[in-house]
Amino acid sequence: MDGPTGELEDRSQRPLTGEFWAAVDRGELVRPVCGDCHRSIFVPQFACPHCQSTNWSYEPSSGRGRVYSHTTIHRPPTPEFDAPFVLADVDVEEGWHLLTWIVGCEPDDVCIDMPVSVRFVTGPDGHRLPAFAPDEAAR
Amino acid sequence: MSSPHPLHRVAIVGVAATEMARQLDTTSAEISLRAARAALDDAGLTVADVDGVAARWPGPGGTVFQPGSADWAEVFGQPLRWVCDTYPQGVPGALDAAAAVAAGLCEVALVFGGQAGVMGGASVADYTRPDNEFIACWGSLTAAQFALVAQVYRHRFAPDPERVAAIAAAIRNAGSENPVAVMAGRGPYTAADVLASPMVAEPFRLLDLCLATEGAAAMVITTAERARDLAQPPVAIMGGGAEWHRQQYVNPPRYDEVWGLGADAARRAFEVAEVRPQDVDVFELYDINTYEVVRQFEMLGLCAEGEGADYLWDAGIGVDGRHPLNTDGGLLSYSHIGWGGPTLKIVEAVRQLRGTAGPGQVADAETALVTGAGSGAQYHNVMVLGRV
Repeated sequence: MDGPTGELEDRSQRPLTGEFWAAVDRGELVRPVCGDCHRSIFVPQFACPHCQSTNWSYEPSSGRGRVYSHTTIHRPPTPEFDAPFVLADVDVEEGWHLLTWIVGCEPDDVCIDMPVSVRFVTGPDGHRLPAFAPDEAAR
Repeated sequence: MSSPHPLHRVAIVGVAATEMARQLDTTSAEISLRAARAALDDAGLTVADVDGVAARWPGPGGTVFQPGSADWAEVFGQPLRWVCDTYPQGVPGALDAAAAVAAGLCEVALVFGGQAGVMGGASVADYTRPDNEFIACWGSLTAAQFALVAQVYRHRFAPDPERVAAIAAAIRNAGSENPVAVMAGRGPYTAADVLASPMVAEPFRLLDLCLATEGAAAMVITTAERARDLAQPPVAIMGGGAEWHRQQYVNPPRYDEVWGLGADAARRAFEVAEVRPQDVDVFELYDINTYEVVRQFEMLGLCAEGEGADYLWDAGIGVDGRHPLNTDGGLLSYSHIGWGGPTLKIVEAVRQLRGTAGPGQVADAETALVTGAGSGAQYHNVMVLGRV
């Protein structure tokens, strides 16, 4: 995704997802919310998968959730990723979920249903990413 | 008497698989063409008989504008009556072709594909590294998507690791005995060997996971009427069905949504076939990892959720077991060839029903089950095959 001169892509220009990445760059987590049925949409789609409305907009997320599932990756798909790392599907409390990393603890300490909160990290390509870390306050 | 189900008006009359290897010194187009011609030869047909094609177009040459089955019309030197680019392989490819033949859209449908000369360098095949926006940035791979499903299963049911590993060992032992398998002669394997292999994506170790290799596979489907005069005993498509839960590798698969994926397709397939899962003599299941094998026996209702590993441990999955499984060594040990891997399942099932399957032949196999993809891919498909 790097530009021809090696500078980072401006993710805010991406269709559908530009606002999501612009918020990540500001250290904020947002998600699309349907203006008609008021449910969260993720991944972003042109129409709400619950009611097919195209009337949706990005709204802030609390960034709090729980681990639905997790797997420790020992052999990454490409060498830029430092293994081992924990890939997880996190249920965010507004009723949406996303693939992410669990950081801030040992891989063996991650468990299903563990409370987590968002923590922004830098990925191997230099872009910020919304990872999650154990949420001690929620324990 | 009611008219026969449309699927029962057609038959699989030719199958072929080329040599399989980690790398082949040819191209995807050439190896695919070789498989196609071999399947026609198997059927006693030639390219001139083909009026329907379902195949990826890998280039070189042809068009860059929607490359696909129509490009093969150029290579075959004749117009086609039917093409299908949706999923031109495995169970969906066979069912689409069967529907086209049954509807009279074409008479001889050729479904084929594979890969060669593409597997150099990378540690995993590029098609196992989904590049979707909310997947690739996290360093996910297809094995990890399936791992997210298997981890919830482990959390809830704590299956005996040795009994799960024994499934991979049994399939790999079948592949070790298969002289044309990529992993021929590499066994025997024990569950302990599987559990000692390096961890890739928890809970999957290296020997739990399928190969990414090169080769091609093909099948020919025509009318039951024409099948009677061809070179091989025809194989009937007794029933089939598919479930497309959602597009793969966009959102992570959820155990609660996908562990039972295929159950509805299987119910419809067995209903049309007028047999039960208990009646299947040989299973050619999509074995991209060990837990998917466990999952499919639970999905089929042959045992309860959470009991698959114990059930298969007791039943036996070797040639002499109650449920002979992946008799060619499967995707774990025989081969997995990109746009052809799912077709290999049909090739082996057809050979089983003809009685020509080699060392993995199940005595007097009359009914075979073939499946494709699985929970982590968020689609699944099922086909029941039988002797005519």
